[in-house]
Amino acid sequence: MSILIDEKTRVVVQGITGRIGAIQTMHMLKAGTKITAGVTPGRGGSRVEGVPVYDSVEEAMAEQEINTSVLFVPAPVAEESCMEAVDAGVKLLILITEHIPTHDTMRIRAYARSHGARLIGPTTPGVVTPGKCKIGIMPTHLFTPGPVGIISRSGTMSYEMAGLLSTEGIGQTTMVGMGGDLVVGTNLVELLELFQKDPETRVVVVHGEIGGTQEEKAATFIRQKITKPVIAYMTGKVALEGSRMGHAGAVFVGKRGAMENKIKAFREAGVPIADSPGEIARLVRQALKA
Amino acid sequence: MLLYEHEAKRLFKDQGVSVPPGEVAKTSLEAAEIARKMGKRVIIKAQVLALPGIGAGDAQIAGSPEEAGRVAEGLLGKSYNGQRVSELLVEEALPSQKEIHVAIRVDGAAGAPLVMASLERLSDLDEEAKSSAKVASSHADPFLGLKSHLARKLAKALGFTGDAAVKLADQVQRIYRVYAKWNALTAGFNPLVITPEENFFASGAFLEIDDSALFRFPQFRELSLSRILDPLAREGKTIGVTYVGLEGDIGVICTGAGIGMATVDLISMGSRPANFLETGGGITEKQMADVMRLVLKKPGLKGVFLNMYGGINPIHEGAKGVVKVIREDKVNIPVVAKAIGNFQEETWKVLEEGGVTVIKTIPTDQAVEELFKRLGK
Repeated sequence: MSILIDEKTRVVVQGITGRIGAIQTMHMLKAGTKITAGVTPGRGGSRVEGVPVYDSVEEAMAEQEINTSVLFVPAPVAEESCMEAVDAGVKLLILITEHIPTHDTMRIRAYARSHGARLIGPTTPGVVTPGKCKIGIMPTHLFTPGPVGIISRSGTMSYEMAGLLSTEGIGQTTMVGMGGDLVVGTNLVELLELFQKDPETRVVVVHGEIGGTQEEKAATFIRQKITKPVIAYMTGKVALEGSRMGHAGAVFVGKRGAMENKIKAFREAGVPIADSPGEIARLVRQALKA
Repeated sequence: MLLYEHEAKRLFKDQGVSVPPGEVAKTSLEAAEIARKMGKRVIIKAQVLALPGIGAGDAQIAGSPEEAGRVAEGLLGKSYNGQRVSELLVEEALPSQKEIHVAIRVDGAAGAPLVMASLERLSDLDEEAKSSAKVASSHADPFLGLKSHLARKLAKALGFTGDAAVKLADQVQRIYRVYAKWNALTAGFNPLVITPEENFFASGAFLEIDDSALFRFPQFRELSLSRILDPLAREGKTIGVTYVGLEGDIGVICTGAGIGMATVDLISMGSRPANFLETGGGITEKQMADVMRLVLKKPGLKGVFLNMYGGINPIHEGAKGVVKVIREDKVNIPVVAKAIGNFQEETWKVLEEGGVTVIKTIPTDQAVEELFKRLGK
């Protein structure tokens, strides 16, 4: 088992003919992902890495089996592209694009929700269920199948966490990049709930950072609803007040978004917090033994 | 991108919000002249860029043109948060019988704008503010905006009735329209005053436009660069990376925000990072050369640490840029790099040939230990 994606997932790549879309399509295919179509308006009829390209998601859906879209489209057209996928009936959207205006993201999120579709991202590395399906930009070889679920606010931190667990022989059920923006399609609480329901996931590792209130809300949720061990690693202890630390969402002003609140909330929920990436593996091993 | 108060007020005015009559002065003479023309008591406000809650410039009342000149003299050249005051907003000082503070911001958890209003200051726009009885709040719809009945409900919750409630609701809706139109992250009145004649004026105003939306507003995109105070951060922005200056002497370059934050956190446990820098996706050889030169500009560096992941980033290309700078600029401080991901073997080869100490294992804490060893710590 896994969450969100598995061997039955059939993917359309929106923005497949772009530089990044084309390269990442190649990497995803190599990882065994079943990409059945690509979409770039005006490029219908061509092929990228052997994948047929269509002018619209609707046309792609008419001819191919598709249940998930991954988007590598430019930020200014991300809102339109997501709505197109939702209108065509896609139920899972994985939005890789960075620097999407927050107002656009709020509309994308609302639109997807009101149409029964799930949005992951934006500014996400994607989602990977090792050995079954990889949707996104992560380096494939760092991920191995196993019992640990990973939720990360950052692409690079998700690679680090999965990579070091894999090196120690601890694999992953699914890694979900939640996205580093102020507003994300699916939040930490919702992802924890999915991992709680997944019978194969035995431990969940969460990477949190300064900004927003997701970690605080997750801590409350963990206390009330999560019976599986959760381990956290937090970044952004060294940050300047008011400066966005690379992610649009990683900023604190006064107490709002500050690290202390988050660490306090996790501690109160009994969530062990790793001091360093190296310590994550030790805490996970402990949790798996328990 | 933060706007100066006088800029925010211009955008508010375009949306039909009443703002006190006023003008911008750059010298004390100009300030005195504006006060003389108005012939009324004025308030003189130092113009600085500040998120609500991190501190703004001072404001002082002046009763005569002469006093306005003296006040202006005192404010010009003062510094707030490292910003020298070069502009003053000189406005009519309006009598007020009541003040209302309004702030709109993005509620990340709800995925929607949150409108808050209070008769007291909303200085830190805090989480607990929402639940406080003194603050009325309402979510807006990302598509439909702030509906008028919700705006009226806010006004009633603050104790307004009749005409005053309708007028206040109208002002709140107008500021919401400014917030939506300009793709703002935050917007607000600090405060909106009600004069004895029951007229509403935005005596204080703030607006922060989402940097990611600046492509829609070319007039501000140009300006936004000049508003970055740290010259190195400004250069970072031109190169297309995020640079945040810190106090230490270890230069840091990372290919992602998460690993970047982890790296500066870990370095600061045994030493002091000089900066936070993350490239985001899509690095090239040239960009990494530019990034390397940018980080090396900080005087007194003892070493440079790179933490690179090849996911969306072609790190083997980036590595070429790094060693090019080491060679061409004769860099003689230790450069330590951890590089993992697609094309890692190629990357290691390029870096090692360029004299970089390469770490090939994953945990950043171990890599930072290696850096400390190289620095003799």
